[in-house]
Amino acid sequence: MTWTQAAFGRITLGLTALGFVILLAIGVGLVWMVQETRGYASAVVATQQIRVTTAEVFSSLQDAETGQRGYLLTGDAAYLEPYRQAEAQLDSELERLATQVAADGGNIPVQEELRWRIEAKLAELRQTIELAESGDMPGATALMRDGRGKTLMDDVRQVLNGIEQRTAARQERRSASMDRAGRILLLVAASGLVLIALVSLGTLRVAMLYTRELESAQAALRGSNAGLEQRVAARTTSLMAANEEIQRFAYIVSHDLRAPLVNVMGFTQELETAIEAVRGLVQRAGTEAPSLVTQEVRDAVEEDIPEAIGFIRSSTNRMDRLIGAILALSREGRRRLAEEPVAVQGLLEGIAASLQHQLDRAGAEITLQPPFPTLRTDRLALEQILGNLLDNATKYLDPARPGRILLRARREAGLNAIDVVDNGRGIAARDHARVFELFRRSGPQDQPGEGIGLAHTRALARRMGGDIRLTSTLGVGSTFTLLLPDALPAPDPAPASQTEELPA
Amino acid sequence: MNVSAQAVTIVMIEDDDGHARLIEKNLKRAGVYNDVLHLNSGTAAVEHLFGPGRQGGAPVLVLLDLNLPDMSGIDILARLKADPVLRLAPVIVLTTTDDDREIRRCYELGCSVYITKPVNYETFAQAVRQLGLFLAVIQVPPTAP
Repeated sequence: MTWTQAAFGRITLGLTALGFVILLAIGVGLVWMVQETRGYASAVVATQQIRVTTAEVFSSLQDAETGQRGYLLTGDAAYLEPYRQAEAQLDSELERLATQVAADGGNIPVQEELRWRIEAKLAELRQTIELAESGDMPGATALMRDGRGKTLMDDVRQVLNGIEQRTAARQERRSASMDRAGRILLLVAASGLVLIALVSLGTLRVAMLYTRELESAQAALRGSNAGLEQRVAARTTSLMAANEEIQRFAYIVSHDLRAPLVNVMGFTQELETAIEAVRGLVQRAGTEAPSLVTQEVRDAVEEDIPEAIGFIRSSTNRMDRLIGAILALSREGRRRLAEEPVAVQGLLEGIAASLQHQLDRAGAEITLQPPFPTLRTDRLALEQILGNLLDNATKYLDPARPGRILLRARREAGLNAIDVVDNGRGIAARDHARVFELFRRSGPQDQPGEGIGLAHTRALARRMGGDIRLTSTLGVGSTFTLLLPDALPAPDPAPASQTEELPA
Repeated sequence: MNVSAQAVTIVMIEDDDGHARLIEKNLKRAGVYNDVLHLNSGTAAVEHLFGPGRQGGAPVLVLLDLNLPDMSGIDILARLKADPVLRLAPVIVLTTTDDDREIRRCYELGCSVYITKPVNYETFAQAVRQLGLFLAVIQVPPTAP
């Protein structure tokens, strides 16, 4: 599976969100549990209070009974004090118990029964005491002995026990549900933590997978980069080999072409020499035996043969120059460029001075527009290039206006651009590429040349790590721009060491 | 015509018959009537110059084309200049190559004149005459053992 950065982001974000949701749920559960615990605690307190109150109620009732017994046995009114106190307290205690039981969710009818039974007991006590106070001691004692008081007391105890038992049962139920809730919460929290742990592990794994994938992608990239460099090196080597091959080819071909050409030229010379002899003979025949010399013979000797020889000679001469040019080019391609600091301005001034004669004759002038850079390059090659460009600018001026040639330098895309701007006859747009081709020329062929200069110039500029560009409008002027780096590219691809192996 | 110069045989090592013929004709035309021995391959030249049947003391002038199909003229030049007898023979290199490096190498090996084809036969004949005379002059004392 391939992880895109977006997928990785979505997955980790989703997992993190899930983790947060689980944490939140656990938090909510805890808050609920705390709330529950608080309720449970207060319920425990309420239960205890009910117990205490029931105990108090019973104790007060016993106090009242004890007081009654003491009074009835001794007749001492002092014993009535606890009775009266208990009677007074019971009312508020019962009230409190009722409230507490009601708050605890207890049974109201049972409360009523309790009140009713306590009142019955109190009424029994009150009756005996009243009888005793009125002096009917035996009546009071008899009433006490008949066991009704005990029965009433037992009833009260029973009711109180019932209340206590039910309260305890409620407490038991609460405790059980509390316990259950606690277990559930524990379970939920534990599973939540397990889930969070799983989510974290998942996130970690996703991150690791993603990182591993990134690493392998980087490794692949490094590999392909290395491969690319190797391929570039291989291509460069094969290009250099091809370039060398072309140069050897040009060298060999031009030599082998020259051999038959030498014969053509030599034997043309022979023919010319031979025709001289024939011409002498024809002239002599013309004077000594005119009938022998027909017009046809005269034409052949005087015109046709010399004309044919003339054409052969001019053609072979041209061919010889072309072959010479190819040889020169191939030789130039093999020359090792030597880097040295070259001040362009000084170089241009030198070239301009050497062209002064032609410039004066054409009524033209060259203007240098400083500043010019100092380049680390091959002086001879730069001189050849600029010399060729300036020579062309001087040669192809427009006779209709005074020639103006401007030289200037500037920076362009990290390279040094040297412009040779002229107001000469210009080059038609369709010839802009052609003029840089070998043996191709443009415009009226009124100047000597083989169409080699610009081809050579561009080949040189490219070897020096630069190029030549042309912008021109026919009839307006041309701008040749030489682009060169600050220094020669290294290493120089000229296969200088192999020139020794070239065939003679 | 210098009689001693007549003794010099011109050995022409040239694979192109046309070139050979032109050279011969132009030499005659320029008044050089020495015997011209035309060898049209490197193998034939080596056979003649260094083979078992070679003439020991006869003075020779060698016209050498560098661009032979079966071997490099440079090798023949090197062998000539390494030979105890033939090293004295003047060698005129006649070739289509006008490469500076090539020319320098030939002169280093000891060639007398380097002429580029197409040949200006005036200068060529002049060179042959002078070298032939030079050879004749140094041939006057008996050859060193």
